[in-house]
Amino acid sequence: MILKLRQLIRLSAIIKTTAIVSVVFFFATFAASESAAQKRFSKLYPAGKNVRLQLTNRSGTVTVEGWDKDQVQISAYLEAPAANIIPQSLSGTILINVVKDNQGRNEVGNVNFTVKVPYTSSVDIETRVGNLNVSNVRGGLVRANISSEGDITLTNIGASNVAAENVIGDIFFDGEIQNGGNYRFVSMRGNINVRIPFNAGFKLVATAPSTRNISLGAFSGGNMNVVSDGRRVIGKNGDGAATLTVTNQRGSIALIRR
Amino acid sequence: MMSAYLDLELDEASSEDVRAHLSVCLDCVGVCKDLANLIDDSRPDEDGPLPPNPQALWLRINNIIEGEVNAEIAKENKAKVAELAAAATKGRWHLSFPQLASALFGIALVSSILTFIGVRHYVQPNDDFAQSSEPTVVDRVLGKLGLVETPQQLRKRKMEEREAAIAYWDKRVQLRRGQWDAHLRDAFDRNLNEINQAVSEYSLILEENPQDDLSGEMLDTALNEKMELLREFSEL
Repeated sequence: MILKLRQLIRLSAIIKTTAIVSVVFFFATFAASESAAQKRFSKLYPAGKNVRLQLTNRSGTVTVEGWDKDQVQISAYLEAPAANIIPQSLSGTILINVVKDNQGRNEVGNVNFTVKVPYTSSVDIETRVGNLNVSNVRGGLVRANISSEGDITLTNIGASNVAAENVIGDIFFDGEIQNGGNYRFVSMRGNINVRIPFNAGFKLVATAPSTRNISLGAFSGGNMNVVSDGRRVIGKNGDGAATLTVTNQRGSIALIRR
Repeated sequence: MMSAYLDLELDEASSEDVRAHLSVCLDCVGVCKDLANLIDDSRPDEDGPLPPNPQALWLRINNIIEGEVNAEIAKENKAKVAELAAAATKGRWHLSFPQLASALFGIALVSSILTFIGVRHYVQPNDDFAQSSEPTVVDRVLGKLGLVETPQQLRKRKMEEREAAIAYWDKRVQLRRGQWDAHLRDAFDRNLNEINQAVSEYSLILEENPQDDLSGEMLDTALNEKMELLREFSEL
């Protein structure tokens, strides 16, 4: 009886050990395959307050965040086959061009960037395919351009010149409207949402010819006019010092009070 | 008489008459030349007095004739100038008040039309045919005269230019797309299809209503998008 009990205990110990070893082996293998599939790139540049980031990606997500440091930190996860990245720092501009650095290569994996820049930087980013996100930037310019499809999200932006353009995908802008500034949002299909302060002064040209879905929310009023059979809204809010142009060929437009 | 002239046997007055005649009569000039050659050929011997060089002799005569001809032309020109001056002072070129007013009005009209055309060409944005508004009467008249492009002509020309550029970038894309991965190819095709749908939608609207400026503007934007898509993917 005692012998059987001892055998049972031993069997249970063997099963436990085997299970633990299997779990450890599984995670070790998974981690190894992950690290083989993704490479990491990281670089830090000292920068002035008015630095300009110019980034051209091929495919993948680009996220740019403003921070309270006079440095530009570039981090990227490179999916296989890993792309070449050769950043350059030229007279106050940080240049990254993944398209140029990989020209002639047949297959290049996604590159997912996270770039931290001083708050007052200018940001000019583009990608052929993928999402673009910019937040907490109040330099002179914020430009986000997707050649084909992907969403553009611009949050807490204080730049005087803002442009966002894609073909298929949503565009969301949340920021201030500067006096004399220029704000342009263009899409072929998707939803464009612009969240701005109620007291912002701007001239508006909003065009949605296919859906005629233009929602002005709190900004609709005496100075806004619907023209061209409802396909366009033109008007002025406040002193009209800035220019706001929104065009969505086959999607909707909404102005939201901030 | 010509012979005597050549032999220097004539007095100064007769020689002057002969020269005057030679200055206007080409036949006699020919005769004079022949006679000079004949005199030269008929010299009996080489030891005699030096024969007059016929070429030199003719050149001398020719110089005299040309001198007289030039003097005659100068005299005639002077006479013409004097005649014109006299005509002007006599008031033959004076215009009456209605004539002067008509001339000034004509000049003002022509210069106004030219200024108007120039200003229109300068002020109108050349790059964006979509901004054209409904043509005014003046636009129509100028369009009929071929002095300015009508919005439709402008749109057609811009379309042709865009289509040529699109065809160029499309060729580049066709060369490259075989090397893209499936994900990139699908994304490109999906987006190009979206733009093409918009282009055909606006083209259809414009066929029905060529005056629809908004559709013209949207067509322009869509074609730009297409060109940009092709250009940017041709780099991959």
